[in-house]
Amino acid sequence: MDPVAGTDCGMSSDPWQVDGVSLHSRFLLGTAGYPSPQVLARAIRASGTQLVTVGLRRRLAAAGDNGFLQIIRQAMAEQGARLLPNTAGCTTAREAVELAHMARELYDTAWLKLEVVGDEYTLQPDPQELVVAARQLVKDGFVVFPYCTDDLVTCKRLLDAGCAVLMPWGAPIGSGQGLINPFALRLLRERLPDAVLVIDAGIGAPSDAALALEMGYDAILLNSAVSQAADPARMAAAFKAGVVAGRTAYRAGVMARQDFAVATTPVTGDPLLIGEAP
Amino acid sequence: MSSKDRDASTITVQLDGQPHEVRAGTTLAQLVHALGHEPQAISTAVNGSFVARSARDRVLGSNDVVLFFQPVVGG
Repeated sequence: MDPVAGTDCGMSSDPWQVDGVSLHSRFLLGTAGYPSPQVLARAIRASGTQLVTVGLRRRLAAAGDNGFLQIIRQAMAEQGARLLPNTAGCTTAREAVELAHMARELYDTAWLKLEVVGDEYTLQPDPQELVVAARQLVKDGFVVFPYCTDDLVTCKRLLDAGCAVLMPWGAPIGSGQGLINPFALRLLRERLPDAVLVIDAGIGAPSDAALALEMGYDAILLNSAVSQAADPARMAAAFKAGVVAGRTAYRAGVMARQDFAVATTPVTGDPLLIGEAP
Repeated sequence: MSSKDRDASTITVQLDGQPHEVRAGTTLAQLVHALGHEPQAISTAVNGSFVARSARDRVLGSNDVVLFFQPVVGG
């Protein structure tokens, strides 16, 4: 069978692995900020995602969760998706570790998106607290996906701590600026060829997602670009197509950029139709 | 110490940031049940530390800071 035939351009035969689990979708989707749980469920279906991020918050009196979890579980079950709880809002390793344990109990999964923010304005991850938390959580049996910057040395420390996946930012969370430092991201991919790398945060358009995959990143994670779209399900479908295009292009081999023009049409000598009249 | 705390039959804990009176000897599991929560629907922490569902038989102390956590959407 043609390896790129079919609606998924061969994605089903090109899985990536996390902790021994094969995932066919390279599109991780966040669940925040949708107009309704029903719209969120439609976006999940349109995205084809197999990893859906969720959070925890303090339960205030009379506050409910608007039933989103039950609704999205139905959509997730249809495509074999898993939950990926996060530790959003944590600013210290200790907080993150405590919240991680609560998430594991509540969502019944050891997979965790580790977030430890070091700056309230940029929501930039705190590299030191991140590494401390990662070490502890790996010891505690978690499969840790740290949300980090594109700093190479921090990423190496996180791998040394036993993280299963690294998730460097493309740009600050929710900014939609795309991949603002492609040099650092390319360097990271080149220096960590065996690591599972996911671009998380900052992706604004499907072309950003395609670029990430073209660069050799294993997957992307985004939320606002879909949830804030006028038609989230349609945008989820667009991102799915962008991810497939980027991954397929990476496997096909994107041509190297040239500084000068390189003729594509094989001509020899003068053009045939220009010259002296007979 | 509040006047209620001086009454041996009740103590005050801080529940989600608000004072909350419970009978002395109340366990965390009993508090969860008394507030109408399904035990599996929330996670709990006391004094900043996670308390697993299986450990909610711990007796609450005066001024314990009790937090309940629930699922929420997230990115």
